[in-house]
Amino acid sequence: MAAFALIWWAASVLTDNPLLLPSPQAVSAAFAGLALDGELFTQSALSVVRLLAALLIAFAIAAPLGLAMGMSKRFEEFVDPVVELLRPISGIAWIPLGLFIFGVGQSLPIFIMAYTATFPVLIGTVSGVKSVDRKLVRAAETMGLSQSAIVARVVVPSILPALLVSLRLGVASAWTAVIAAELVGAPNGLGYAISWYREMLVTPKMIAFIAMVGVCGYFCDLALRLLAARLTPWAPGAEARR
Amino acid sequence: MTIDLQSVRKEFVARDGARTPAVEDVSLTLGEGEFVVIVGPSGCGKTTVLNMIAGLERPTAGAILADGRPVTGPGVDRGVMFQDYALFPWRTVAENVAFPLRFGPAGAGLSGAAIGDRVDATLTLVGLAAARDKYPHQLSGGMRQRVALARLLSYEPKVLLMDEPLAALDAQTRTILQDELLRIWGQDGPAASRRTVLFITHAIDEAVFLADRVVVMSSHPGRVREIVPVDLPRPRNDATRADPDFQRIAQHIWSLIKNEAYRAATS
Repeated sequence: MAAFALIWWAASVLTDNPLLLPSPQAVSAAFAGLALDGELFTQSALSVVRLLAALLIAFAIAAPLGLAMGMSKRFEEFVDPVVELLRPISGIAWIPLGLFIFGVGQSLPIFIMAYTATFPVLIGTVSGVKSVDRKLVRAAETMGLSQSAIVARVVVPSILPALLVSLRLGVASAWTAVIAAELVGAPNGLGYAISWYREMLVTPKMIAFIAMVGVCGYFCDLALRLLAARLTPWAPGAEARR
Repeated sequence: MTIDLQSVRKEFVARDGARTPAVEDVSLTLGEGEFVVIVGPSGCGKTTVLNMIAGLERPTAGAILADGRPVTGPGVDRGVMFQDYALFPWRTVAENVAFPLRFGPAGAGLSGAAIGDRVDATLTLVGLAAARDKYPHQLSGGMRQRVALARLLSYEPKVLLMDEPLAALDAQTRTILQDELLRIWGQDGPAASRRTVLFITHAIDEAVFLADRVVVMSSHPGRVREIVPVDLPRPRNDATRADPDFQRIAQHIWSLIKNEAYRAATS
């Protein structure tokens, strides 16, 4: 961290253009100022709430779909081509179309993030279901559990650790997409703030918001890791995480 | 409950259509309350026999009857203890033991308190009362095995099918659990209170120590080589292991499988 700050400072002295690369001190001051008047937090909160809404949507789509794909070979063969065709298309590619459909507002960034997060969660769920220990399913069968009870009591808890890992991957990719979506398609939020201060030519504030993108991403991931440690205390490495 | 295997045959069909016979013409009857042990070299189909009785696999030919009725699938009357424990890692010891009662038909009509009592009693029986809130990964191999046994006993299946349950344990733990298994099975009590057991092992001394009858199988394909009655008196204990008759029966069984065992070990 210290070395990074030092290189940054040296580079800012060399370029000697606060519009292109302000010094670390200027950015820290801007960061502190934005934090004090609350703007930093209101814009972050807007983006984070959108992230949560998008995750909820992605989870509601991907988890049941992944469960079905993992359990039925025929269903997977049916759905997989569509998934594999859509997956390489970045969420950002849908922004122009999203602008037509949703216009500028809440919906566009949520749609883009939900789209982006769906694929990691889906693929994590499918591979989680496929790696469920056959022996546990057989054990439940010998105890007379019905098929639906086996899904609820054996398959779902078995895939929970994989599901939480895939959720973290989903958050990471959705978070990269939200900034792009908000740069053009939202009236507020972190991405909007970055583009606003770029237009105002207030580079230190712009960089402060960019830094905030990293900070929020970090804390979202941390929250998910804590959630995983709470929900899956049996999973390998859970004790080390607590 | 009695189990009847009548000329049972099992073939496995590989993806390319090739058929491998795993079990050939196995006929065997497990009497009410009888402790039967299958020994044999690996590849003799002993696990396949157990899985077919459990209803997890279907015989290719022949019939399997439980109390005279054909076995069509898994059922709570035939409980299985798997080789590598098959405990649910996301549930504690007590929750694992309660699992078949809470989520299976065996616990239908039981209140939560009644299930709790049954779990406590079973955990005490296997000596695990102190570990009830631990997760399986926090336990030693011997303790995991006890959890698996407690989970099996908790829902009171009429037949216990045990697939090499003690194979992964060290020699001392193994000896202790053999003693406990016989105690829990009820060797000190009247024969009428005992449950029917089919136990698989590759350890001859274990087979002789536990069994009323030892089924010796040979491999490729799995067949019954000989059924050896073990008429050592019960209750059995450390004195049993030193009994000359014990040694004699073990020697006899070894002589039956020696050639195949050597071939398997040197090929």
